[in-house]
Amino acid sequence: MILEHAQVLVVALPLLAVPVCALLPSRRWPGQFATLVAWAVLGFAVLLMAGVAEQGVLRYQLGGWAPPWGIEYRLDAMAALVQLLLALIAAVVFPYAARSLADEVDDGRVGGIFAALLLLLTGLLGIVATGDAFNVFVFLEISSLSGYALIAMGRRRRALVASFRYLIMGTVGATFFLIGLGLLYALTGTLNMDDLATRMPPLSASPTAQTALVFIVAGIGLKAAVFPLHQWLPDAYAEAPPAVAAFMAATATKVALYVLARFLFGVFGLEQLLEVPALQSALQGLAVAGMLAGSLLAMRAMDIGRILALSSVAQVGYILLGFALFSTAGLAAGLVHLFNHALMKAALFLALGAIVHRVGSGDLSRLEGVAHAMPWTMAAFMMGALSLIGVPLTAGFVGKWYLILAVVEQGQWWLVMAMLVASILSVVYLWRIVEVLYRRPAVLPARHEAPALLLLPTLLLAVANLVMGMHATPLVEWSMRASASLLGAGS
Amino acid sequence: MTGLEHYNYWIVIALMMSGLYALIARGNLIRKLIGLNIFQASVFLLYISVGFVRDGAAPILAPGVDSYSNPLPHVLILTAIVVGVATTALGLALAVRIHGAYGTIDDDQLDRQRD
Amino acid sequence: MMEELIDVLLLAALLLVALQVIGSRGLVAAIMTFGAFSLVCAGLFVTLDAVDVAFTEAAVGAGVATLLMLAALQRCGGESEAAPRVHWGALVVVLGVGGLLVWGTLDLPPVGEADNPAHQHVAPRYLEQSGVEIGIPNVVTSVLASYRGFDTLGEVVVIFTAGLGVWLLLSSRRREEGE
Repeated sequence: MILEHAQVLVVALPLLAVPVCALLPSRRWPGQFATLVAWAVLGFAVLLMAGVAEQGVLRYQLGGWAPPWGIEYRLDAMAALVQLLLALIAAVVFPYAARSLADEVDDGRVGGIFAALLLLLTGLLGIVATGDAFNVFVFLEISSLSGYALIAMGRRRRALVASFRYLIMGTVGATFFLIGLGLLYALTGTLNMDDLATRMPPLSASPTAQTALVFIVAGIGLKAAVFPLHQWLPDAYAEAPPAVAAFMAATATKVALYVLARFLFGVFGLEQLLEVPALQSALQGLAVAGMLAGSLLAMRAMDIGRILALSSVAQVGYILLGFALFSTAGLAAGLVHLFNHALMKAALFLALGAIVHRVGSGDLSRLEGVAHAMPWTMAAFMMGALSLIGVPLTAGFVGKWYLILAVVEQGQWWLVMAMLVASILSVVYLWRIVEVLYRRPAVLPARHEAPALLLLPTLLLAVANLVMGMHATPLVEWSMRASASLLGAGS
Repeated sequence: MTGLEHYNYWIVIALMMSGLYALIARGNLIRKLIGLNIFQASVFLLYISVGFVRDGAAPILAPGVDSYSNPLPHVLILTAIVVGVATTALGLALAVRIHGAYGTIDDDQLDRQRD
Repeated sequence: MMEELIDVLLLAALLLVALQVIGSRGLVAAIMTFGAFSLVCAGLFVTLDAVDVAFTEAAVGAGVATLLMLAALQRCGGESEAAPRVHWGALVVVLGVGGLLVWGTLDLPPVGEADNPAHQHVAPRYLEQSGVEIGIPNVVTSVLASYRGFDTLGEVVVIFTAGLGVWLLLSSRRREEGE
């Protein structure tokens, strides 16, 4: 009974918890309640993953109306993977936020902030769960609006400006998506993604279909921070409260990339993609430009949050590159890196949050020698950094390795070169941080480790980077399966 | 037909672009939100134009009428209008807070204040 | 033919109003002209048979959005702004995007033809069956409340999210100004 409805419950549960959370008194309860909700969501996500493993695509008709007339929930291997990722990150970050966010804002707003965090989770889960293209837009806006509000909660006044600029650019992106969708509807008369996929092939040469594709890619690319549409991201993630930055960096751009893959391969399909002149080279070019530009900008930044955010621009480039190979191996490598990048970036932002919690700043000039006072936090940071560079036996290595294999498969050696250069640059910008944090004399005189509630989730994610690096097979196999079924459905 | 088949679309595109221009070119944050609203309203017009059926009635069932305009775009745009005003409200609240914190809501002047 | 003439005239008027909003001096004038823009939009929605949308646009666009803007402007002290200059970068972006869209609409089916693909696949079921399946004459309401009821739920959540966001932002305002 519960299993049958798990597909909807996984989205409905955090939503139903929102009003409760908003009204909870006390400084601690909202965070603890949100944590319980996140763990329950994780339980459902695991159940659903097992369901997809067994039965393939799961479908659920909302309100009992059959698609394409009604809205359908649809969970395939790729969606189940991203859903699990969202639930995992929420389950680890929410208890951390329960401590760190509650310490940062004044009493009256704690409930509201956790309600917004749950809304963000609801929106992202809803995007992944649905099979209806317009429903994607509605849930995208739920996640976006709660995201803008949460970013504005940052300590510095700059957070307000970052949030406003993100709001403007994000809404333009969502409206571009809406334009693309409108053109598709005018051509096909449907909004259901599977139904669209069956109706698109005869229209692949139509300028309208190609324009729709460009608008959808640009609109979602903006939300995913694909270069050069990334300008909102560095400020937004650097100014947001660290727990929010950790959650959003690990989930929001990932879900946008998921939508991109869903539309590219699951709605338009390979034939259509190859029909648009220069689309593939343009996407590959943007991916490489993002990898290099993000890394170069990160080398010059002074604030750790900003460095991590800019490195996200580079990492989005890697994932996009996997997609832009238009091959099963490439898409699978992109998905592997999508999952693993979430783990490393969440670990890094949580470690940063622990440092900011103790020192009150994430600015490199004020963090000399912090590592000596916070050895455990620093160990977690190092783990995340090694994974970000792509050192063997870490999660970050796996995605890059399979990406290189997929690139070599197509004989595009210049892309391998670009990836290596970007990786070397990441060593440089991460080394700058490590060097400062270990420098003597230290700003903090003695041992001053982060509170356990901040440290445990951080260490957990750091260990996850190691585990996913050493036991990569399940994720790789699942991604291959997701990729094969998506590309198979498209052609 | 006359050359009017695509007239709706082209004026709608001109409208979208004027909104988009205002939102990029003007520095005042409230102006940017006005531009955003014009941009979005024009997209609503695009949808409603797609749904229009000449000589059809508004989609309210009545005896003796057999041609209606398409109700689906209307439904979508009703939702989109509400989403649009929700975004505007949040943007305005941010503008008010920015004014409180910086004493200005001009984008260029915000950039001049470093922190 | 009459219907089309009104459509053509209203669209032309709308473009003029939009340009007026953008070129206007002073924010109060811009906001008031924007209200007029929304009203003309609502008029266009009526001629395009979208009466529910027209009503909502008039109430929400011309009403609520305009009032919110005026209220925000009042709290921002109605400051003077720099005179508009031509922004070449924006012009290039807009011409590029607009050009792509014009190209993209060239092979769209003509506005208003009853056999357009948009009217063929999903929509007929709503028009033919909703009277029986739902039992109310307004098809837009039927689709909104049942076939696509989940979108409507999402819409309510969007309003709640925005309300929560506004509250989170403005409830701490006094503290900041005291600094």
